[in-house]
Amino acid sequence: MSDNDPVDPIEGLWHARKVTRRRLMGYGVATAGALGATMVVPAPWRAAFGQAKPYKIGSLQPLSGVAAAGGKTSLVGVQMAVDRINKAGGINGRPVELIVADDESKPDVGRRKVEKLLVEDKIDVHAGGFLSNVCLACMPSYEETKVVNMITVCLDTTITTSKCSRYTFRPFDYAPAQAVAIAPYLVNKLGKKWHIAYLDYSWGQSTRDAYTEQIRKNGGDVVGTTGIPLGTADMTAFLSKITGEFDGIFGILFGAPAVTFLSQAYDLGLSKKYKMAGDGAMVEATHMPALGQKAEGFVGINRYLPVLDPPLNTPYHKRFFEDAVARLKQIDPSGPLPDRYTQSNYEAVNALRIGMENSKFRGREDTMKLIEALEGLEMKEGDDFPQGDKLLRKEDHQAFLRQFIFDVQDGKHRILEVVEKEKTIVPPACTFS
Amino acid sequence: MSAMGDWIGFVWGWLATHGDIIIIQTVNGIVTGMILALIASGLTLIFGIMDVVNFAHGELFMLGAYVGVVVLSISGSFWLALVLSTLVVALIGAALQITTLRPLVGRDPLNTILATFGISLVLQNYALWQFGPVPRKLDEPITGQFVLFYLAYPWYRLLIALLSGAIIGGLYLFLKHGTYGIWIRATTQDRVMAQAMGIPVPWVHTGVFAIGAGMAAASGVLFGPLIGINHAMGLDWVLKAFIVVVVGGMGNLGGSIAASIFVSLLEAYAAIVVSPAQAVIVSFVVLILTLLFRPTGLFVPTPK
Repeated sequence: MSDNDPVDPIEGLWHARKVTRRRLMGYGVATAGALGATMVVPAPWRAAFGQAKPYKIGSLQPLSGVAAAGGKTSLVGVQMAVDRINKAGGINGRPVELIVADDESKPDVGRRKVEKLLVEDKIDVHAGGFLSNVCLACMPSYEETKVVNMITVCLDTTITTSKCSRYTFRPFDYAPAQAVAIAPYLVNKLGKKWHIAYLDYSWGQSTRDAYTEQIRKNGGDVVGTTGIPLGTADMTAFLSKITGEFDGIFGILFGAPAVTFLSQAYDLGLSKKYKMAGDGAMVEATHMPALGQKAEGFVGINRYLPVLDPPLNTPYHKRFFEDAVARLKQIDPSGPLPDRYTQSNYEAVNALRIGMENSKFRGREDTMKLIEALEGLEMKEGDDFPQGDKLLRKEDHQAFLRQFIFDVQDGKHRILEVVEKEKTIVPPACTFS
Repeated sequence: MSAMGDWIGFVWGWLATHGDIIIIQTVNGIVTGMILALIASGLTLIFGIMDVVNFAHGELFMLGAYVGVVVLSISGSFWLALVLSTLVVALIGAALQITTLRPLVGRDPLNTILATFGISLVLQNYALWQFGPVPRKLDEPITGQFVLFYLAYPWYRLLIALLSGAIIGGLYLFLKHGTYGIWIRATTQDRVMAQAMGIPVPWVHTGVFAIGAGMAAASGVLFGPLIGINHAMGLDWVLKAFIVVVVGGMGNLGGSIAASIFVSLLEAYAAIVVSPAQAVIVSFVVLILTLLFRPTGLFVPTPK
């Protein structure tokens, strides 16, 4: 090879003596040193705890797949709570280490990831779960390993009724309570006859049953239902069938399917012909940019709304709201407002903290003490629970909290009525095995 | 005979009383079928010429919609968004083919399947990271509706069907009469002979992948206004596109288009009499029956 021969740049890097073996070793040592330094230098909060062993809180979230959008805003809520706890001195003087696992929005993956959290990562408690089918698939694992599972989003009714577990808690609402809260409004103010459109899986089905029961109890009727399978790209063929003599369509969908449903129902003129109402998940703040005017006039029920109007005009809610907005801006350039997933994840971790402090929880050996501390826990409105007061019922581990009946005006949520938690209570239907 | 007469009478009576929904579902089936055909034609073109099962096709569809959102927000023109998105994603497709698939030519098909699956995961998570979890809106260029029995049917849905047909028709003419189209057909028929005749086969492959990616992007922009643009929007379509590609005959462009409309019409008609969950099973039943009795595809002439 002469000096004038062209040299391949990659070949040149190795053979033109620019990088000698010794120099390469040097780079390696320097890199290892830099990495080591980052491990030795403590995180800002860690210094405050000295040698205290951290509590490991596992959090299973859908960070990819169909439910990733909600999973991302959920994780913001968990992270907000953990950061706040560590900043305030941890739990029982020990820091909290958050271990996050992505369930990819699939029950089988969720089960596998939970096994890893429980067996390999040896988490002390769990706070997470978004899709109901994932939550239901994972519940036996917490029971087998005797670890408290604080559900943060899953709404399937059976989680705290026929499939309830001593180890699982739901520190937010569920469909029977919401149905009790909104059914009188639906029947007396919007119309007697309803058609229910729902996502055809565990959450949608159990929620459909709860609303049907309450609408009928209040003197109304459900004259038809349409179950829409998860993963339906174009709903028009199914929506085209929704016709007849009824007053309104009640939707039970969330995430991208909810956006598709409302968009296509509007395009087909259903929103003009019938009153549109439904679960608050249909029109979360994160859906509004995609819905535009297509959600105008929608009436719904939700435990949380991103507004600072009474009764949510409290200083604690304002602090929560501002922190959430700043963090959500980091994961989405459009700057979304917090949704109920951010709220319930934040509050679920705070409920765990109070239970762990009250029971002087040390680790899994104290799981029963923690369960007893959480059973009947009263959560007071404040910085820990900016949404409002809650009661975590002992009999079924189901919480009751106030609900907001709202509508959408000019692309924003407007509170129409506040239903206090006492008016949402339904009898427990759980027998712990 | 009288039992047969009763049965015919019943069917006739049912059709007479359900005429409105049958016509509505026919329109729905054709519109959905044309969107599906546009997606599937890119998929089948890539398979027919390169023997590559492109698992990233749904993500190219999604990327097209996102590029459309960006262009629309800057320019305010839906049509410019449609054209630019097609071109940009076609270029991305070409780059992906050169960097990822070209080095795998001649290897076991499993390698390309894994490579395209990897690309799909990367693109999906890139979109989630770049654009965030909040679904985006793509405004339709026309918003009017016309009365179709008891529905107010959007003109835009008919426009989608027409534009999809026009794009597919343009592709057909290009393949039939264009110089580069003839290169593509020659490469499909005999890769070695085409190379011997001086056709740059590797670049034909790149061009075909770019065309397939561009068509996926165009369908993403066209369908975008009917939903919220999100990182997972391709997942719902690509499974169905794979079904129609198999039912139509792998690599058979005309077969895929016919299968798209056939399967969509079947699902739409099934939705009249059964629940949506049962209606979506129809496409899987057709797939299984095709694999059992006509594995080369429903719309491929029987080999003699």
